[in-house]
Amino acid sequence: MTIIRLTNVSVDIPVYSVGSSSIRKVVLGRAIGGRFGQAAGHVIVKALKDISFEAQNGDRIGLVGNNGSGKTTLLRVLADVYAPTSGTVEVNGQVSPMFDATLGMNHDATGLENIRICGMLWGLTREELDASLDDIAEFSELGDYLKMPVRTYSAGMQLRLAFAIATLRKPDIFLLDEIIGVGDANFFQKAFARLEGLVRRSRILFVASHTKPIIQRICNKAIWLHNGTLVAYGEVGEVLEAYSSGDARLAQVAAA
Amino acid sequence: MTDTIADEQVPAAATSPRRATTSASDAVGADLLAGIAAWPLWAMLGWNDIRLRYRRSVLGPFWMTLSMAIFVVTLGFIYSRIFKMDIRTYLPFLALGFILWGFVSTTLNESGGAFLEGDRIIKQIRVPFSAFVFRVVWRNFIVLLHTIVLIVPIWIIFGMTPGLNSLLVVPGVALVYLNLAWAGIVVAILSTRFRDIPLIVATALQVTMFATPIMWPVSSLGDYTLIADANPFFHLIELVRAPLLGNAPAPLSWTVAIGLALVGPVFAALLMRRASRRIVYWL
Repeated sequence: MTIIRLTNVSVDIPVYSVGSSSIRKVVLGRAIGGRFGQAAGHVIVKALKDISFEAQNGDRIGLVGNNGSGKTTLLRVLADVYAPTSGTVEVNGQVSPMFDATLGMNHDATGLENIRICGMLWGLTREELDASLDDIAEFSELGDYLKMPVRTYSAGMQLRLAFAIATLRKPDIFLLDEIIGVGDANFFQKAFARLEGLVRRSRILFVASHTKPIIQRICNKAIWLHNGTLVAYGEVGEVLEAYSSGDARLAQVAAA
Repeated sequence: MTDTIADEQVPAAATSPRRATTSASDAVGADLLAGIAAWPLWAMLGWNDIRLRYRRSVLGPFWMTLSMAIFVVTLGFIYSRIFKMDIRTYLPFLALGFILWGFVSTTLNESGGAFLEGDRIIKQIRVPFSAFVFRVVWRNFIVLLHTIVLIVPIWIIFGMTPGLNSLLVVPGVALVYLNLAWAGIVVAILSTRFRDIPLIVATALQVTMFATPIMWPVSSLGDYTLIADANPFFHLIELVRAPLLGNAPAPLSWTVAIGLALVGPVFAALLMRRASRRIVYWL
Protein backbone atom coordinates (compact mmCIF):
# COMPACT_ATOMS: atom_id res chain seq x y z
CA MET A 1 0.00 0.00 0.00
CA THR A 2 1.29 3.42 -0.90
CA ILE A 3 1.43 5.61 2.14
CA ILE A 4 3.69 8.38 1.01
CA ARG A 5 3.88 9.85 -2.45
CA LEU A 6 5.95 12.86 -3.38
CA THR A 7 5.45 14.26 -6.87
CA ASN A 8 7.91 16.79 -8.29
CA VAL A 9 8.53 18.32 -4.89
CA SER A 10 10.80 21.34 -4.79
CA VAL A 11 11.63 23.40 -1.75
CA ASP A 12 13.10 26.88 -2.04
CA ILE A 13 14.27 28.24 1.26
CA PRO A 14 14.47 32.01 1.40
CA VAL A 15 17.36 33.21 3.50
CA TYR A 16 16.60 36.65 4.78
CA SER A 17 19.39 39.05 5.34
CA VAL A 18 19.12 41.79 7.91
CA GLY A 19 17.97 44.17 5.21
CA SER A 20 15.08 42.18 3.83
CA SER A 21 13.58 41.64 7.28
CA SER A 22 13.36 45.35 7.84
CA ILE A 23 10.34 47.28 6.74
CA ARG A 24 12.47 50.18 5.58
CA LYS A 25 13.97 48.14 2.78
CA VAL A 26 10.66 46.69 1.66
CA VAL A 27 8.87 50.02 1.74
CA LEU A 28 11.77 51.72 -0.04
CA GLY A 29 11.80 48.91 -2.57
CA ARG A 30 8.12 49.43 -3.30
CA ALA A 31 8.46 53.19 -3.41
CA ILE A 32 11.08 53.19 -6.12
CA GLY A 33 9.31 50.74 -8.30
CA GLY A 34 10.70 47.52 -6.98
CA ARG A 35 14.14 47.92 -8.54
CA PHE A 36 15.47 47.87 -5.03
CA GLY A 37 13.53 44.68 -4.48
CA GLN A 38 16.31 42.61 -5.87
CA ALA A 39 19.03 44.27 -3.84
CA ALA A 40 16.99 44.21 -0.68
CA GLY A 41 15.59 40.78 -1.48
CA HIS A 42 16.58 37.48 -0.06
CA VAL A 43 18.82 34.74 -1.30
CA ILE A 44 16.91 31.63 -2.27
CA VAL A 45 18.45 28.27 -1.58
CA LYS A 46 17.03 25.47 -3.68
CA ALA A 47 17.09 22.85 -0.97
CA LEU A 48 15.15 20.19 -2.86
CA LYS A 49 14.71 19.96 -6.62
CA ASP A 50 11.96 17.98 -8.29
CA ILE A 51 11.85 15.05 -5.90
CA SER A 52 9.42 12.24 -6.72
CA PHE A 53 9.15 8.90 -4.98
CA GLU A 54 6.70 6.60 -3.26
CA ALA A 55 6.95 4.69 -0.04
CA GLN A 56 4.92 1.61 0.77
CA ASN A 57 3.87 -0.01 3.97
CA GLY A 58 6.88 -1.65 5.61
CA ASP A 59 9.50 0.50 3.90
CA ARG A 60 12.54 1.37 5.99
CA ILE A 61 14.22 4.11 4.03
CA GLY A 62 17.67 5.42 4.78
CA LEU A 63 18.59 8.89 3.54
CA VAL A 64 22.20 9.28 2.51
CA GLY A 65 24.11 12.18 1.04
CA ASN A 66 26.68 14.74 1.97
CA ASN A 67 26.10 17.59 4.36
CA GLY A 68 23.68 20.03 2.78
CA SER A 69 22.36 17.49 0.30
CA GLY A 70 18.77 17.96 1.50
CA LYS A 71 18.28 15.06 3.93
CA THR A 72 16.96 17.19 6.76
CA THR A 73 14.89 19.30 4.38
CA LEU A 74 13.26 16.17 3.00
CA LEU A 75 12.49 14.97 6.52
CA ARG A 76 10.98 18.34 7.33
CA VAL A 77 8.79 18.17 4.23
CA LEU A 78 7.59 14.74 5.32
CA ALA A 79 6.93 16.13 8.81
CA ASP A 80 4.81 18.93 7.28
CA VAL A 81 7.17 21.49 8.75
CA TYR A 82 8.29 22.75 5.35
CA ALA A 83 5.63 23.35 2.74
CA PRO A 84 6.92 22.50 -0.73
CA THR A 85 7.32 25.42 -3.10
CA SER A 86 5.94 23.27 -5.88
CA GLY A 87 4.80 19.70 -6.27
CA THR A 88 2.53 17.60 -4.10
CA VAL A 89 3.09 15.66 -0.94
CA GLU A 90 0.66 12.94 0.00
CA VAL A 91 1.01 11.34 3.38
CA ASN A 92 -1.61 8.90 4.59
CA GLY A 93 -0.88 8.43 8.25
CA GLN A 94 0.35 10.03 11.40
CA VAL A 95 3.90 11.33 11.19
CA SER A 96 6.17 11.24 14.24
CA PRO A 97 9.40 13.14 13.72
CA MET A 98 12.38 12.79 16.02
CA PHE A 99 15.02 15.20 14.79
CA ASP A 100 16.15 16.31 18.20
CA ALA A 101 15.24 14.06 21.10
CA THR A 102 15.72 16.83 23.65
CA LEU A 103 12.92 18.98 22.20
CA GLY A 104 11.17 20.98 24.90
CA MET A 105 13.58 19.94 27.66
CA ASN A 106 13.61 22.64 30.28
CA HIS A 107 16.66 22.78 32.50
CA ASP A 108 15.01 24.46 35.45
CA ALA A 109 12.12 22.02 35.56
CA THR A 110 12.44 18.68 37.29
CA GLY A 111 12.68 15.40 35.43
CA LEU A 112 9.05 14.63 36.22
CA GLU A 113 7.91 18.02 34.95
CA ASN A 114 9.92 17.53 31.81
CA ILE A 115 8.21 14.21 31.21
CA ARG A 116 4.98 16.17 31.03
CA ILE A 117 6.35 19.04 28.93
CA CYS A 118 8.26 16.94 26.41
CA GLY A 119 5.66 14.19 26.37
CA MET A 120 2.85 16.54 25.45
CA LEU A 121 4.98 18.07 22.70
CA TRP A 122 5.44 14.58 21.29
CA GLY A 123 1.68 14.25 21.27
CA LEU A 124 1.30 11.94 24.25
CA THR A 125 -1.64 12.37 26.59
CA ARG A 126 -1.39 12.89 30.31
CA GLU A 127 -2.77 9.39 30.92
CA GLU A 128 -0.24 7.77 28.61
CA LEU A 129 2.56 9.63 30.35
CA ASP A 130 1.38 8.70 33.83
CA ALA A 131 1.17 5.08 32.76
CA SER A 132 4.72 5.21 31.41
CA LEU A 133 6.44 6.75 34.43
CA ASP A 134 7.94 3.45 35.58
CA ASP A 135 9.16 2.68 32.10
CA ILE A 136 10.84 6.08 31.85
CA ALA A 137 12.40 5.79 35.30
CA GLU A 138 13.75 2.37 34.44
CA PHE A 139 15.07 3.13 30.98
CA SER A 140 16.64 6.44 31.98
CA GLU A 141 18.07 4.86 35.17
CA LEU A 142 17.23 8.12 36.93
CA GLY A 143 15.02 6.80 39.72
CA ASP A 144 14.72 9.44 42.43
CA TYR A 145 16.73 11.90 40.37
CA LEU A 146 13.50 12.48 38.43
CA LYS A 147 12.45 14.76 41.27
CA MET A 148 15.55 16.93 40.75
CA PRO A 149 15.84 19.81 38.27
CA VAL A 150 17.27 18.67 34.96
CA ARG A 151 20.11 21.21 35.20
CA THR A 152 21.64 19.04 37.93
CA TYR A 153 21.84 16.09 35.51
CA SER A 154 24.90 15.10 33.57
CA ALA A 155 24.68 15.34 29.78
CA GLY A 156 24.24 11.57 29.62
CA MET A 157 21.40 11.61 32.14
CA GLN A 158 19.63 14.39 30.22
CA LEU A 159 19.91 12.45 27.01
CA ARG A 160 18.64 9.25 28.60
CA LEU A 161 15.60 11.07 29.94
CA ALA A 162 14.85 12.87 26.67
CA PHE A 163 15.28 9.66 24.74
CA ALA A 164 13.06 7.69 27.11
CA ILE A 165 10.25 10.21 26.62
CA ALA A 166 10.64 10.68 22.86
CA THR A 167 10.55 6.93 22.25
CA LEU A 168 7.28 6.41 24.12
CA ARG A 169 5.37 7.24 20.98
CA LYS A 170 3.75 4.66 18.79
CA PRO A 171 4.74 6.06 15.44
CA ASP A 172 2.90 5.32 12.27
CA ILE A 173 5.44 7.02 10.04
CA PHE A 174 8.65 7.54 11.96
CA LEU A 175 11.18 10.18 10.89
CA LEU A 176 14.63 10.09 12.42
CA ASP A 177 17.47 12.51 11.87
CA GLU A 178 20.92 11.26 12.79
CA ILE A 179 20.48 8.74 15.57
CA ILE A 180 21.98 9.70 18.93
CA GLY A 181 25.63 10.50 18.79
CA VAL A 182 26.28 11.05 22.48
CA GLY A 183 26.31 8.80 25.49
CA ASP A 184 28.50 5.89 26.43
CA ALA A 185 28.63 2.64 24.47
CA ASN A 186 26.43 0.94 27.02
CA PHE A 187 23.67 3.47 26.57
CA PHE A 188 24.03 3.40 22.82
CA GLN A 189 23.29 -0.35 22.80
CA LYS A 190 20.26 0.16 24.98
CA ALA A 191 19.00 3.15 23.03
CA PHE A 192 19.48 1.39 19.75
CA ALA A 193 17.52 -1.63 20.95
CA ARG A 194 14.67 0.61 22.05
CA LEU A 195 14.74 2.46 18.76
CA GLU A 196 14.66 -0.79 16.82
CA GLY A 197 11.53 -1.77 18.72
CA LEU A 198 9.95 1.51 17.72
CA VAL A 199 11.01 1.06 14.12
CA ARG A 200 9.46 -2.41 14.07
CA ARG A 201 6.15 -1.05 15.32
CA SER A 202 6.05 1.77 12.74
CA ARG A 203 4.70 1.28 9.24
CA ILE A 204 7.29 3.43 7.51
CA LEU A 205 10.64 4.68 8.66
CA PHE A 206 12.83 7.42 7.25
CA VAL A 207 16.23 7.79 8.81
CA ALA A 208 18.93 10.24 7.77
CA SER A 209 22.37 9.18 8.84
CA HIS A 210 26.02 9.41 7.96
CA THR A 211 26.65 6.06 9.61
CA LYS A 212 26.30 3.45 6.88
CA PRO A 213 26.24 0.42 9.21
CA ILE A 214 23.17 1.85 10.94
CA ILE A 215 21.36 2.29 7.65
CA GLN A 216 22.41 -1.16 6.53
CA ARG A 217 21.14 -2.67 9.74
CA ILE A 218 17.69 -1.09 9.96
CA CYS A 219 16.78 -0.12 6.39
CA ASN A 220 15.62 -2.09 3.40
CA LYS A 221 15.69 0.86 1.00
CA ALA A 222 17.75 3.99 0.63
CA ILE A 223 17.49 7.39 -1.01
CA TRP A 224 20.64 9.12 -2.12
CA LEU A 225 20.40 12.88 -2.26
CA HIS A 226 22.96 15.17 -3.78
CA ASN A 227 22.59 18.94 -3.90
CA GLY A 228 18.85 18.64 -3.41
CA THR A 229 18.23 16.15 -6.20
CA LEU A 230 17.36 12.52 -5.85
CA VAL A 231 20.25 10.59 -7.36
CA ALA A 232 19.08 7.07 -6.54
CA TYR A 233 16.25 5.30 -4.77
CA GLY A 234 16.11 1.57 -4.34
CA GLU A 235 17.32 -1.43 -2.42
CA VAL A 236 19.59 -0.37 0.42
CA GLY A 237 22.67 -2.36 -0.64
CA GLU A 238 22.63 -1.07 -4.20
CA VAL A 239 22.10 2.55 -3.27
CA LEU A 240 24.81 2.46 -0.62
CA GLU A 241 27.21 0.90 -3.05
CA ALA A 242 26.41 3.50 -5.70
CA TYR A 243 26.75 6.20 -3.09
CA SER A 244 30.16 4.93 -1.96
CA SER A 245 31.54 4.73 -5.48
CA GLY A 246 29.58 7.61 -6.99
CA ASP A 247 30.39 9.86 -4.13
CA ALA A 248 33.98 10.12 -5.24
CA ARG A 249 32.95 10.80 -8.82
CA LEU A 250 30.48 13.51 -7.82
CA ALA A 251 33.02 15.03 -5.50
CA GLN A 252 35.42 15.25 -8.43
CA VAL A 253 32.77 16.89 -10.58
CA ALA A 254 32.06 19.40 -7.86
CA ALA A 255 35.75 20.17 -7.47
CA ALA A 256 36.33 20.60 -11.21
CA MET B 1 -4.75 2.83 -3.03
CA THR B 2 -5.73 2.15 -6.63
CA ASP B 3 -8.26 4.95 -6.48
CA THR B 4 -5.55 7.58 -6.14
CA ILE B 5 -3.61 6.45 -9.18
CA ALA B 6 -5.74 8.69 -11.38
CA ASP B 7 -4.32 11.64 -9.46
CA GLU B 8 -0.91 10.85 -10.82
CA GLN B 9 -2.00 11.88 -14.27
CA VAL B 10 -2.71 15.39 -13.07
CA PRO B 11 0.30 17.60 -13.73
CA ALA B 12 1.86 18.98 -10.58
CA ALA B 13 1.21 22.55 -11.59
CA ALA B 14 -2.54 21.94 -11.68
CA THR B 15 -2.66 20.80 -8.08
CA SER B 16 -1.73 23.12 -5.29
CA PRO B 17 1.17 21.97 -3.16
CA ARG B 18 -0.55 20.20 -0.32
CA ARG B 19 -0.51 16.99 1.54
CA ALA B 20 -3.36 14.62 1.95
CA THR B 21 -3.17 14.54 5.73
CA THR B 22 -3.35 18.28 6.26
CA SER B 23 -5.11 19.58 3.20
CA ALA B 24 -7.54 21.31 5.55
CA SER B 25 -4.75 23.63 6.70
CA ASP B 26 -5.26 25.70 3.56
CA ALA B 27 -8.78 26.71 4.54
CA VAL B 28 -9.35 30.08 6.16
CA GLY B 29 -9.33 29.76 9.92
CA ALA B 30 -8.01 26.19 9.89
CA ASP B 31 -4.88 27.08 11.81
CA LEU B 32 -6.85 29.04 14.39
CA LEU B 33 -9.32 26.22 14.96
CA ALA B 34 -6.53 23.67 15.18
CA GLY B 35 -4.77 26.02 17.58
CA ILE B 36 -7.80 26.17 19.84
CA ALA B 37 -8.08 22.39 19.72
CA ALA B 38 -4.45 22.15 20.84
CA TRP B 39 -5.34 23.82 24.15
CA PRO B 40 -3.83 21.14 26.40
CA LEU B 41 -0.47 21.92 24.84
CA TRP B 42 -0.52 25.71 25.04
CA ALA B 43 -2.19 25.71 28.43
CA MET B 44 0.62 23.50 29.72
CA LEU B 45 3.36 25.57 28.05
CA GLY B 46 1.93 28.87 29.29
CA TRP B 47 1.50 27.55 32.81
CA ASN B 48 5.08 26.27 32.82
CA ASP B 49 6.37 29.64 31.63
CA ILE B 50 4.89 31.22 34.74
CA ARG B 51 6.03 28.50 37.13
CA LEU B 52 9.57 28.52 35.85
CA ARG B 53 9.75 32.30 35.97
CA TYR B 54 9.16 32.27 39.72
CA ARG B 55 10.88 29.02 40.56
CA ARG B 56 12.94 29.11 43.77
CA SER B 57 11.47 32.40 44.90
CA VAL B 58 9.63 32.30 48.23
CA LEU B 59 6.55 34.20 47.12
CA GLY B 60 6.49 32.64 43.69
CA PRO B 61 3.91 34.11 41.33
CA PHE B 62 2.60 36.24 44.18
CA TRP B 63 5.53 38.53 43.53
CA MET B 64 3.35 39.81 40.71
CA THR B 65 0.63 40.61 43.23
CA LEU B 66 3.01 42.24 45.66
CA SER B 67 4.90 44.35 43.17
CA MET B 68 1.68 45.56 41.58
CA ALA B 69 0.32 46.43 45.05
CA ILE B 70 3.40 48.48 45.93
CA PHE B 71 3.34 50.20 42.56
CA VAL B 72 -0.33 51.08 42.69
CA VAL B 73 -0.31 52.33 46.28
CA THR B 74 2.73 54.54 45.71
CA LEU B 75 1.43 55.99 42.46
CA GLY B 76 -2.09 56.27 43.88
CA PHE B 77 -0.91 58.43 46.75
CA ILE B 78 1.32 60.69 44.68
CA TYR B 79 -0.89 61.12 41.63
CA SER B 80 -4.06 61.71 43.61
CA ARG B 81 -2.18 64.70 45.09
CA ILE B 82 -0.95 65.85 41.66
CA PHE B 83 -4.36 65.56 40.04
CA LYS B 84 -6.02 66.82 43.24
CA MET B 85 -8.40 63.87 43.31
CA ASP B 86 -9.94 61.92 46.13
CA ILE B 87 -7.75 58.90 46.72
CA ARG B 88 -10.85 56.79 47.37
CA THR B 89 -11.93 57.15 43.76
CA TYR B 90 -8.51 57.61 42.20
CA LEU B 91 -6.59 54.66 43.62
CA PRO B 92 -9.09 51.93 42.59
CA PHE B 93 -9.34 53.54 39.13
CA LEU B 94 -5.58 53.68 38.74
CA ALA B 95 -5.04 50.16 40.08
CA LEU B 96 -7.49 48.54 37.68
CA GLY B 97 -6.30 50.62 34.75
CA PHE B 98 -2.71 49.65 35.35
CA ILE B 99 -3.42 45.98 35.92
CA LEU B 100 -5.41 45.76 32.69
CA TRP B 101 -2.94 47.79 30.72
CA GLY B 102 -0.26 45.40 31.89
CA PHE B 103 -2.30 42.49 30.54
CA VAL B 104 -2.96 44.16 27.19
CA SER B 105 0.49 45.61 26.54
CA THR B 106 2.56 42.68 27.79
CA THR B 107 0.48 40.25 25.77
CA LEU B 108 0.89 42.26 22.58
CA ASN B 109 4.60 42.82 23.20
CA GLU B 110 5.26 39.17 23.91
CA SER B 111 3.17 38.06 20.94
CA GLY B 112 5.86 39.52 18.71
CA GLY B 113 8.20 36.79 19.89
CA ALA B 114 5.64 34.00 20.04
CA PHE B 115 6.95 32.09 17.01
CA LEU B 116 10.60 32.82 17.74
CA GLU B 117 10.08 31.43 21.23
CA GLY B 118 8.76 28.23 19.70
CA ASP B 119 11.18 27.94 16.81
CA ARG B 120 12.74 24.68 17.96
CA ILE B 121 9.28 23.15 18.12
CA ILE B 122 8.10 24.70 14.87
CA LYS B 123 11.12 23.32 13.00
CA GLN B 124 10.52 19.81 14.21
CA ILE B 125 6.85 19.05 14.64
CA ARG B 126 3.67 20.38 13.11
CA VAL B 127 1.84 22.41 15.72
CA PRO B 128 -0.76 25.01 14.73
CA PHE B 129 1.01 28.38 14.72
CA SER B 130 -1.79 30.11 16.58
CA ALA B 131 -1.12 27.79 19.54
CA PHE B 132 2.12 29.70 20.24
CA VAL B 133 0.17 32.96 20.46
CA PHE B 134 -2.51 31.36 22.62
CA ARG B 135 0.28 30.30 24.96
CA VAL B 136 1.37 33.94 25.31
CA VAL B 137 -2.17 35.20 25.92
CA TRP B 138 -2.84 32.43 28.40
CA ARG B 139 0.29 33.00 30.46
CA ASN B 140 -0.46 36.71 30.63
CA PHE B 141 -4.00 35.90 31.67
CA ILE B 142 -2.51 33.92 34.55
CA VAL B 143 -0.51 37.02 35.45
CA LEU B 144 -3.73 39.06 35.28
CA LEU B 145 -5.45 36.70 37.68
CA HIS B 146 -2.60 37.21 40.15
CA THR B 147 -2.86 40.99 40.01
CA ILE B 148 -6.58 41.57 39.56
CA VAL B 149 -7.22 39.99 42.99
CA LEU B 150 -5.91 43.27 44.43
CA ILE B 151 -9.38 44.67 43.80
CA VAL B 152 -10.70 42.71 46.78
CA PRO B 153 -8.55 44.45 49.42
CA ILE B 154 -9.23 47.73 47.59
CA TRP B 155 -12.98 47.17 47.90
CA ILE B 156 -12.58 46.40 51.60
CA ILE B 157 -10.22 49.27 52.43
CA PHE B 158 -12.29 51.89 50.63
CA GLY B 159 -15.62 50.39 51.68
CA MET B 160 -16.83 49.91 48.12
CA THR B 161 -19.80 47.76 47.16
CA PRO B 162 -19.55 47.12 43.42
CA GLY B 163 -22.99 45.46 43.26
CA LEU B 164 -24.50 43.53 40.39
CA ASN B 165 -22.69 45.55 37.73
CA SER B 166 -19.51 43.76 38.76
CA LEU B 167 -20.84 40.60 37.10
CA LEU B 168 -20.35 42.34 33.75
CA VAL B 169 -16.63 41.73 34.31
CA VAL B 170 -17.07 38.20 32.95
CA PRO B 171 -18.15 39.13 29.39
CA GLY B 172 -15.76 42.08 29.64
CA VAL B 173 -12.71 39.92 30.33
CA ALA B 174 -13.82 37.44 27.67
CA LEU B 175 -13.95 40.20 25.05
CA VAL B 176 -10.54 41.54 26.04
CA TYR B 177 -9.10 38.03 25.86
CA LEU B 178 -10.61 37.37 22.44
CA ASN B 179 -9.35 40.66 21.04
CA LEU B 180 -5.86 40.07 22.38
CA ALA B 181 -5.80 36.61 20.84
CA TRP B 182 -6.47 37.79 17.29
CA ALA B 183 -4.31 40.91 17.63
CA GLY B 184 -1.55 38.72 19.05
CA ILE B 185 -1.69 36.50 15.96
CA VAL B 186 -1.38 39.54 13.69
CA VAL B 187 1.52 40.94 15.71
CA ALA B 188 3.22 37.54 15.82
CA ILE B 189 3.05 37.00 12.05
CA LEU B 190 4.22 40.50 11.14
CA SER B 191 6.94 40.52 13.80
CA THR B 192 8.38 37.25 12.56
CA ARG B 193 8.62 38.51 9.00
CA PHE B 194 9.68 42.07 9.75
CA ARG B 195 11.94 42.36 12.74
CA ASP B 196 11.18 46.07 13.14
CA ILE B 197 7.56 45.36 14.06
CA PRO B 198 8.17 44.31 17.68
CA LEU B 199 10.09 47.54 18.20
CA ILE B 200 7.34 49.57 16.58
CA VAL B 201 4.72 47.81 18.70
CA ALA B 202 6.70 48.47 21.88
CA THR B 203 7.05 52.15 21.07
CA ALA B 204 3.42 52.51 20.06
CA LEU B 205 2.22 50.83 23.23
CA GLN B 206 4.42 53.05 25.37
CA VAL B 207 2.90 56.16 23.84
CA THR B 208 -0.60 54.70 23.96
CA MET B 209 -0.33 54.14 27.69
CA PHE B 210 -0.07 57.86 28.28
CA ALA B 211 -2.74 58.65 25.70
CA THR B 212 -5.23 56.24 27.28
CA PRO B 213 -7.24 57.11 30.39
CA ILE B 214 -5.31 54.93 32.81
CA MET B 215 -3.54 57.41 35.05
CA TRP B 216 -6.03 60.19 34.35
CA PRO B 217 -9.83 60.04 34.19
CA VAL B 218 -11.80 60.64 30.99
CA SER B 219 -13.49 63.62 32.65
CA SER B 220 -10.19 65.51 32.62
CA LEU B 221 -10.37 65.58 28.82
CA GLY B 222 -13.25 68.08 29.01
CA ASP B 223 -14.59 68.60 25.51
CA TYR B 224 -12.00 66.33 23.99
CA THR B 225 -13.49 62.96 24.96
CA LEU B 226 -12.98 61.89 21.38
CA ILE B 227 -9.38 61.18 22.38
CA ALA B 228 -10.69 58.39 24.59
CA ASP B 229 -13.63 57.34 22.45
CA ALA B 230 -11.50 56.81 19.36
CA ASN B 231 -9.04 54.67 21.32
CA PRO B 232 -9.90 50.95 21.27
CA PHE B 233 -7.57 50.34 24.20
CA PHE B 234 -9.72 52.64 26.33
CA HIS B 235 -12.83 50.62 25.53
CA LEU B 236 -11.16 47.31 26.27
CA ILE B 237 -9.93 48.56 29.62
CA GLU B 238 -13.33 50.06 30.42
CA LEU B 239 -15.04 46.71 29.88
CA VAL B 240 -13.22 45.30 32.90
CA ARG B 241 -12.49 48.43 34.92
CA ALA B 242 -16.01 49.87 34.99
CA PRO B 243 -17.75 46.71 36.30
CA LEU B 244 -15.18 46.26 39.05
CA LEU B 245 -15.75 49.89 40.09
CA GLY B 246 -19.47 49.15 40.21
CA ASN B 247 -20.45 50.82 36.93
CA ALA B 248 -21.79 49.47 33.68
CA PRO B 249 -19.46 50.12 30.72
CA ALA B 250 -20.77 52.56 28.12
CA PRO B 251 -22.63 51.06 25.12
CA LEU B 252 -19.90 52.47 22.89
CA SER B 253 -17.29 50.36 24.68
CA TRP B 254 -19.33 47.18 24.14
CA THR B 255 -19.91 48.08 20.50
CA VAL B 256 -16.24 48.69 19.79
CA ALA B 257 -15.07 45.56 21.60
CA ILE B 258 -17.69 43.30 20.03
CA GLY B 259 -17.11 44.83 16.60
CA LEU B 260 -13.38 44.23 16.86
CA ALA B 261 -13.96 40.72 18.14
CA LEU B 262 -16.04 39.97 15.05
CA VAL B 263 -13.81 41.55 12.42
CA GLY B 264 -10.41 40.86 13.99
CA PRO B 265 -10.44 37.06 13.97
CA VAL B 266 -11.43 37.06 10.29
CA PHE B 267 -8.53 39.37 9.51
CA ALA B 268 -6.16 37.27 11.59
CA ALA B 269 -7.38 34.09 9.88
CA LEU B 270 -6.87 35.56 6.41
CA LEU B 271 -3.39 36.77 7.32
CA MET B 272 -2.56 33.39 8.85
CA ARG B 273 -3.67 31.60 5.70
CA ARG B 274 -1.30 33.72 3.66
CA ALA B 275 1.55 33.32 6.12
CA SER B 276 1.27 29.84 7.60
CA ARG B 277 3.28 28.10 4.87
CA ARG B 278 6.07 30.67 5.16
CA ILE B 279 6.43 31.32 8.88
CA VAL B 280 8.91 28.49 9.33
CA TYR B 281 11.18 30.07 6.69
CA TRP B 282 11.08 33.41 8.45
CA LEU B 283 12.38 32.07 11.76
